[in-house]
Amino acid sequence: MENIRELQAYAYFFFTLFLVVILYSYIVHLYRSEKKGTRDYEQYGKLALDDELDSKPIEPQETKENKEQK
Amino acid sequence: MVNAAMEYDYTVSKWFAYLSIIFGIIGMVVGVLIAFQMAYPELNNLFGQYGTFSRLRPIHTNVVAFGFTLSGIWAAFYYISQRVLKVSIRENSVVHGIAKLHFFLYVILAAGLVVSLLLGITTSKEYAEMEWPLDILTVVVWILFGLALFGLIGMRREKTLYISMWYFIAFFLGVAMLYLFNNMEVPTYFVTGMGKWYHSVSMYAGTNDALVQWWYGHNAVAFVFTVPIVAMIYYFLPKESGQPVYSYKLSLLSFWGLMFVYLWAGGHHLIYSTVPDWMQTMGSIFSVILILPSWGSAINMLLTMKGEWNQLKESPLIKFMVLASTFYMLSTLEGPIQAIKSVNALAHFTDWIIGHVHDGTLGWVAFMIIAATLHMAPRYYKREIYSKKLMEMQFWLQTTGIVLYFSSMWIAGITQGMMWRAVDQYGNLAYSFIDTVTVLHPYYTIRAIGGLLFVIGLFMWAYNYVKTMQSGKILEKEPAFASPMGA
Amino acid sequence: MFHWLEKRPFFFAVGVFLVIAFAGLIEIIPDFAQASRPVVGTKPYTVLQLAGRHVYIKDSCNACHSQLIRPFKSETDRYGPYSLSGEYAYDRPFLWGSKRTGPDLMRVGEYRTTDWHENHMWEPSSVVPGSIMPAYKHMFTQNADIETAYAEALTVKKVFNVPYDKPGMPKLGEWEEAKKQAMEEARKIASEMKNQDVKDAVANGEIPEIVALIAYLNSLR
Repeated sequence: MENIRELQAYAYFFFTLFLVVILYSYIVHLYRSEKKGTRDYEQYGKLALDDELDSKPIEPQETKENKEQK
Repeated sequence: MVNAAMEYDYTVSKWFAYLSIIFGIIGMVVGVLIAFQMAYPELNNLFGQYGTFSRLRPIHTNVVAFGFTLSGIWAAFYYISQRVLKVSIRENSVVHGIAKLHFFLYVILAAGLVVSLLLGITTSKEYAEMEWPLDILTVVVWILFGLALFGLIGMRREKTLYISMWYFIAFFLGVAMLYLFNNMEVPTYFVTGMGKWYHSVSMYAGTNDALVQWWYGHNAVAFVFTVPIVAMIYYFLPKESGQPVYSYKLSLLSFWGLMFVYLWAGGHHLIYSTVPDWMQTMGSIFSVILILPSWGSAINMLLTMKGEWNQLKESPLIKFMVLASTFYMLSTLEGPIQAIKSVNALAHFTDWIIGHVHDGTLGWVAFMIIAATLHMAPRYYKREIYSKKLMEMQFWLQTTGIVLYFSSMWIAGITQGMMWRAVDQYGNLAYSFIDTVTVLHPYYTIRAIGGLLFVIGLFMWAYNYVKTMQSGKILEKEPAFASPMGA
Repeated sequence: MFHWLEKRPFFFAVGVFLVIAFAGLIEIIPDFAQASRPVVGTKPYTVLQLAGRHVYIKDSCNACHSQLIRPFKSETDRYGPYSLSGEYAYDRPFLWGSKRTGPDLMRVGEYRTTDWHENHMWEPSSVVPGSIMPAYKHMFTQNADIETAYAEALTVKKVFNVPYDKPGMPKLGEWEEAKKQAMEEARKIASEMKNQDVKDAVANGEIPEIVALIAYLNSLR
């Protein structure tokens, strides 16, 4: 019983730490890659606005049709 | 690229929208009745054993949470997902068939739930009252929803999933996991061959049962009343206002933050109960941390309106949505406050909790669903919304209703909590229990009136919607942003 | 690297699932074994009490009454000693409730009598002036479902090893025995009641819901 409890505490602590580190590196990553210009995240915000069936996707899914077009 | 005749197909979305209006009215009319019963107990005798507060209360909670809210969410889901994935559900008849089956089985399930609760067939676990046959049907409905969700995603033309889709995925997974674990039960008939065939007994006993139940109960709130509604606002507010979401990066952060933190907060329902101390403390702490991701989303929504506040004045739809995100901020601040141990000691078991639930559900969930249906209606029927004036009136009436509701419940809860613990000069309890009940009469009356105002607003909503279908001015093409409204 | 997720719904879903499942695993599983150990003296319900518990659940008494006394002086003064985890070891489901529109019932058997419950369930305001509780007159005419209660007791005995038929614990036995025993308990309660219809019904070998409910409420100590 005590062992499980100890294990539980360690698992809890390290997993939380792990997720916190990931979350923060995520934030840093997001802002850095946008600053360097490798990726523009805000363009995806337009997905909600430009949502007609025939409007051009920002990044088209690779399908047979558009592979042929390339 | 796309077949010219192809367009978005809103059949299933429309069906769910009708259902949402019907359930909204049923659930909240029952809610108003039981609210008046608390102020005027003789109203309990209207329908014999089927009309008592205790029989009707689960019907109110279930019809509103799983009838009105889920139908509203699915109406929005079958609308939003086609649009942000840039795919028509009509393109794949299997997925379309699944979506229709999803709807029909869900209607059967909802009818079964209402009938069984009226008959008093219940497991007594809040928000999980269904007995095992209906539980199995729920699982089937949920799997169908999952198939439709991932089916649509699989067909998509847009590679990147929009924010709303993340929340819908989380909604699907979260509810599935919670529901399965909380409803583990053994049907007694199959073990013994005796008694009622639909009766079952919980796999967990006592404190464990409570722990699993509130892990579920709290997170059912998270994954039904928060996650999918956030999905809706991330689409409808930008679309209606014509403004892209203020910060896509912030939405990413608040999503993962919410996912990680929310599940921990369930322990706050069991503070000062018999569950281990460390877990209660954890429940409190995480509940407070939970403010951050919740406010992240809400602030993101308000900032989306930056420089566009004139729209708030002009459009009742924007009013509904902005007030919804404000109420979201209010209740996500209030919740953590109630989870602080010393506050919880006072607030637990009182009407303050009821007030908290209702400023979230009425102000945030119901307002978002109302706004969503009215945004979709002109696109469904290619007609103008019938009356802007009626929407304005509905908005102010319902807002007044909510304010009356939560302010009276705050006062009632704190009054009763204080009276329970009040002692006289010798250290004896100052009040008998019934003293702490009779004192609440005026607040119960005010609350019932607040609820009544809200329900009147619902009837205006239904009327406006039906009129839009039948006699709204016909539109030549689909509106891009702001929904057109008649006077 | 991270943007990768938003384009791959499958891995996205896996990520979400891991993050939300984690809390459940850590929070719930390790304390399961410990919390289910009964306190000395805690006994499973008899068949009649269990049938009464089903009546309690059927009419959602738990919508307004808690069964959880918190460790504060104001609560222990009002309701008795605070609740211990093991006292609930045989409660399936738990009935803590989430709202106290009426008082806590965890130890109501300590201070209320059969007679009091009878009057109260017939017309609450006759014993508690100003009460907002509904009357439950239908419990005096409808019969309790003893068979389902027995089925449940037998199920938990078989599946979860609840100690029925052990020394010092309630006897379950075969269905015929259990039925006879439930009738006997019911007769004892009916003899303390005044309602003639209930007395007649019990004399005829029926068990009205109210009798079972009172048996359950009296067992809450």
